[in-house]
Amino acid sequence: MVLYTLRRLVLIVLLLGVMSVLLFAITQVLPGNVARMILGQFATPDAIEAVETRLGLKDPLVIQYGRWFFGIVRGDFGQSLIMERPIGPVLAEALGRSAVLAALSFVLVASVGILLGVIAAVRKNRPIDHAVSVFSYLGISVPEFFWGIAFILVFARWLGWLPSAGYSPIGEGFGNWFARLIGPTLTLTFTLIAHVSRLTRSSMLETLRSRYVLAARAKGLPERVILFRHALRNALLPTITVLAIDVGWLFGGIVVVETVFAFPGLGRLVAFAIERRDLPLIQATLLVITAVYCLANLAADLLYAALNPRIRYARRTS
Amino acid sequence: MRKATAVFLVLLLGLFFLPRLEAAGGHLKVALTANLNTLDPAKAKSGDEYLYMFMVFNALTRIAPDMSVQPDLAERWEASPDLKTWTFHLRKGVRFHHGRELDSEDVKATIERIQDKATGSTARVNFLMVEKIEAPDRYTVKFTLSLPYAAFPEILGERQARVVPKERIAELPTQPVGTGPFRFKSFKPGDRVELVKNPDYFETGLPRLDAVTLLVIPESATRIAALETGEVHAVWKLPLEAIDRLKKHPQVVVDEVATSSWDGIIMHNRMAPFDNPKVRKAVFLAIDKAQAAEIALFGHGSPTLTPIPPSHPFFNESIPLKADPAAAKKLLAEAGLPNGFETTLMVPEGRPERERLGLAVRDMLKAVGVKVNIQRVPWDKFLADVEGKAAFSINGFFSRPTVDTSLYPWYHSSGSWNTGLWHYKNERVDRILDTARQTASVEERRKLYRELQQVVAEDPPSVVPYVVNQVDGFRKEVKGLRSNPMLWFDVRQVTLE
Repeated sequence: MVLYTLRRLVLIVLLLGVMSVLLFAITQVLPGNVARMILGQFATPDAIEAVETRLGLKDPLVIQYGRWFFGIVRGDFGQSLIMERPIGPVLAEALGRSAVLAALSFVLVASVGILLGVIAAVRKNRPIDHAVSVFSYLGISVPEFFWGIAFILVFARWLGWLPSAGYSPIGEGFGNWFARLIGPTLTLTFTLIAHVSRLTRSSMLETLRSRYVLAARAKGLPERVILFRHALRNALLPTITVLAIDVGWLFGGIVVVETVFAFPGLGRLVAFAIERRDLPLIQATLLVITAVYCLANLAADLLYAALNPRIRYARRTS
Repeated sequence: MRKATAVFLVLLLGLFFLPRLEAAGGHLKVALTANLNTLDPAKAKSGDEYLYMFMVFNALTRIAPDMSVQPDLAERWEASPDLKTWTFHLRKGVRFHHGRELDSEDVKATIERIQDKATGSTARVNFLMVEKIEAPDRYTVKFTLSLPYAAFPEILGERQARVVPKERIAELPTQPVGTGPFRFKSFKPGDRVELVKNPDYFETGLPRLDAVTLLVIPESATRIAALETGEVHAVWKLPLEAIDRLKKHPQVVVDEVATSSWDGIIMHNRMAPFDNPKVRKAVFLAIDKAQAAEIALFGHGSPTLTPIPPSHPFFNESIPLKADPAAAKKLLAEAGLPNGFETTLMVPEGRPERERLGLAVRDMLKAVGVKVNIQRVPWDKFLADVEGKAAFSINGFFSRPTVDTSLYPWYHSSGSWNTGLWHYKNERVDRILDTARQTASVEERRKLYRELQQVVAEDPPSVVPYVVNQVDGFRKEVKGLRSNPMLWFDVRQVTLE
């Protein structure tokens, strides 16, 4: 198991290396560059060239890449070309804020999603099952920006219960900090919950039809024990895979939700970097996202093994 | 001894009360529409960046809301008779936020930096005429120009020309230092810019606020909700759709002012049928300028003739702005097109105002027998294949700091935009533009520019139906804040109740 984890970690590092080359190549193909963004629509070619020279964009690609790569190896993410400030602290702050948002949403998606799935399965074709279906489909089929704005209109503008947007550091009071997390978190959760609840429902239904559940029932075990100790543990396996994939979806949603709620996180930073063609910032932010995604998949695989004794990655001989 | 203590106590009490009487105080919160790209004023080019810059920095001159030029860091200036040498005398005792006194070398360094191509300032084009900058003493700056230029003091009030301390240029993107009414405190990218009052600001008694925070709120619906709930005091540039609703809000004031940004109905003067001046004039007469502004901007524009806004003292109000379809038809008949013609109007995608202007043009020209087919073109393709190449198109342009910089590039036969866009040539217009540049008297210039508007109404290169209004939203508790044609906020006098 330890060996397996190590091997996966080495693979992740290699993958990040490949990703960095790919990202670098893609940004070279994108139309326009940061010098054009700085000078605007009416720039003359000689002015563009002068700014490109100042920013080092005239150097051969290998040198540009090498400069960036060895910086990263030393733990230096370099400078944002457009903001002209070190990327490290900006990235760390944005990542920290988004991590809280993502973690809260993820926990909610997982716990509420699984719970709703189980309820829907147990009460199959009863009103509550239909209610859960409608609720989760509404979330997934209408995009985040609609629910985000609807949330702001209802809870900030009409009811006045919550602030409409923004971010407040936790150092300036837990209440302020938390109040500004509610909107983005609930919006993200709502739009992602369908994956988990639908999948849990169907795999739960399948498990409930299996023979070992029948055996457990025949043994006279209480329904609660059957559901949660026997059925759910097996029904969860596909859900975990989907949860790992949802981490990727979560990032997509975060870009939108952070924009709507003016939440200064990683998603907005990525969008800012791409719009401005700020190459070092694009590289740094997307690399962090790739790393998080890879680690989430690794965590899912490990959890899989922990839940299902039939899967033991490292012991190939047995 | 006891007396001395009493005097001391009284003085102490006085010190305690004095600032309270003077300062109105308050912490103003303003919503920005996007993250700032840069804190370096030379590189700024968005309205959000201008908001911050005008609070932290000053320029040599200031362009007042009525578009007249006022002293800022320079207390007075004079020009040589040929208008090629300009001498500016700096205000004494102005201190940067890090404590050093401003001097002429800072001004020289600031402008030379904007002239440097590698800096990448969009204002560079305005300073190409500056050949030499000298600093003969601490408080005098001398500019030598390559051509006579009467409106040079206005050029120095340009948004990017904020004076920065020469030894702190490298720190501008992270720790900007200026002379302005507010000091930079912090910038959290994507989140906020925090500014605090500069107690040593050179205009005594100003600013009256204690602090300003600029909050980045990219989504317009969210910005408006924050204004309605009072989380922010001011929203810069309201979306047109939101204006009417906000006007009904009991706690919000909507303020509107004409700028010199404009949208144009662009006719290529060398392509048929627009190579015939009669056809161009017929189009000009067929367009009702006020209706065009109503349709394109829901009325939040000011009908005009050229980029000179109707609120400007140089505007010529004697020329009719209403459509005259009968005269237009007559001109088309004289041009040999009694039954009109059919043409394609290219409109850039994703700019709803310009798309609506396209629809207005189609309907107004239909009334004079011209059939317009609208073709929407993606923005990148529009810039590459349409601008300056299509016979008939719609586009928009941002305001420039002076009447000369707003007109010369478009109307003079050698102008940079004219030669790339519509290829207009009128010798009388050329002569007026060249003379106005070299005319020191404001009254004389006013006469010349009024005459120019008359000439281009007779022989229009294209149609500039309106200038765009700047519409901002403020909370009622904010006192002394107005919309500004330069698109920024002057917060020096602002107080909160």
